[in-house]
Amino acid sequence: MIVATAVCPHPPLLLRELTGAQDVAADLRGVCESAVSVLLATPDLDRIVVVGGADASGEGLSGRVPTRLYAGAAQRGLRAGSRGRDTRSGTGEPLPLSLGVARRLLDTVAPDTPVETVAVAWDASAAEVERVARSVAGGAERVGLLVMGDGGARWGVREPGHLDTASVDVDEVVRHALADGDTGALAALDPEEAADQMVAGRAALQVMASAVALGGASVGAELLYADAPFGVTYFVAVWSCASC
Amino acid sequence: MLRLRGREYGPDATLVMAIVNRTRDSFYDNGATWDDAPAFERVRAVVAEGADIVDIGGVKAGPGEEVDAEEEKRRTVDFVAAVRAEFPDLVISVDTWRASVGRAVCEAGADLLNDAWGGHDPRLAEVAAEFGVGLVCTHTGGLAPRTGPLRPSYDDVVRDAIDATVALAERAVSLGVDPHSVLIDPAHDFNKNTWHSLELTRRLDEMTDTGWPVLVALSNKDFIGETLDLPVGERLTGTLAATAVCAWHGAQVYRVHEVTPTRRVLDMVSAIRGVAPPARTVRGLA
Repeated sequence: MIVATAVCPHPPLLLRELTGAQDVAADLRGVCESAVSVLLATPDLDRIVVVGGADASGEGLSGRVPTRLYAGAAQRGLRAGSRGRDTRSGTGEPLPLSLGVARRLLDTVAPDTPVETVAVAWDASAAEVERVARSVAGGAERVGLLVMGDGGARWGVREPGHLDTASVDVDEVVRHALADGDTGALAALDPEEAADQMVAGRAALQVMASAVALGGASVGAELLYADAPFGVTYFVAVWSCASC
Repeated sequence: MLRLRGREYGPDATLVMAIVNRTRDSFYDNGATWDDAPAFERVRAVVAEGADIVDIGGVKAGPGEEVDAEEEKRRTVDFVAAVRAEFPDLVISVDTWRASVGRAVCEAGADLLNDAWGGHDPRLAEVAAEFGVGLVCTHTGGLAPRTGPLRPSYDDVVRDAIDATVALAERAVSLGVDPHSVLIDPAHDFNKNTWHSLELTRRLDEMTDTGWPVLVALSNKDFIGETLDLPVGERLTGTLAATAVCAWHGAQVYRVHEVTPTRRVLDMVSAIRGVAPPARTVRGLA
């Protein structure tokens, strides 16, 4: 069962080498690293699972942080240090962005921590969310869950998909749910509404909600960050489950 | 690697060398920094704008008022000492072809001798070696100081510039000048017509391929004026275009009148080349 979770966003600009000379997302990254630290400090974890949105659901994904997809291959500034290849980024095929950003956060906070990776399709149905949640929550007594999920991108006028009106502000619903440990509110998010408001983390957050609900424990929640400094809403939160 | 005043610069670093004329008749500024006070203001301004080097000159490059060695020293030596006192870390270059002037400015604190007349006085390189300062080796096509081009011709102006400047550089090193403090300069316009200077710009990569750090002095020169049919004073955009091409080809030091626009062009080209990161990238990455 799930005993602790951490929620982080996964914008490319969390990858330090993508923002040029200025580290524009230093504050956000710091909060994310704190959340991951809190998750990993949970006592006696048997299993740590990272869940993130992707084009298709899948398990056991490995590969490299997908920096080059966002900045090309020839940029010398993208290499870690001045010599040789970027050893932080791994090898192989690029990971989905959500899992790539998770990998970078984990490598920074606690390198070599064994984690399992799970991708959930952005447009996953309720049934698929439930299936992934059971896979994530099962198999061990004490599971820690790192959830990579972004908020929306359609509210502010500067945001990529500016939307004038909507009956429900999905970001507000998510913000309250994360702050209150409200799994029901996350489970009730409407996939179409979330998609309309470009809430990329909808499926991943619902996997978390469903996986936590399976354990039946009450949730102690702390919302560490909720803002949209660059036009996309980011949430950082940590949950601990009372029965642990 | 380039080393000036003890500081080391990697092969992708670009440096702006700001011109400070102690003359009454230089073509661009017409004596604006002839007096001490405006000359100092010019130094302070270019340092504030991020110039890495100041290049102090006491003699107009082209034909003009006769300036003997004693007068050249009067114009430059005390000024170099005063700039050194106010800016202990600034790299100070002096534009001179005379060894006697070179010796005096080195004693006053200069770090680099800009031998803009291509070894006309062979003892200047000996002075650089003696004082442990850098040397700029330029291509003048055999022209005597302060004379202009009359029907210069070259089988291959780029080859000629490389052969001449590399020979000067190797000679300087053989005399004891630090090989990391020797630069080569194709010297646009110096005994060249506009076609020659354009070709040097177009093929500057052949010069940078020699491995010697390359200095270019393009600022507001006649080849730019003739290319665009513009008078002095309206050549900044042409200068910056030529600067960008030289930067793309890997030139390292840029002798200029306008510091800030040059710095921006160099930073932009460095980012395009992929050798330096952009300042701040957020677009599409949120």
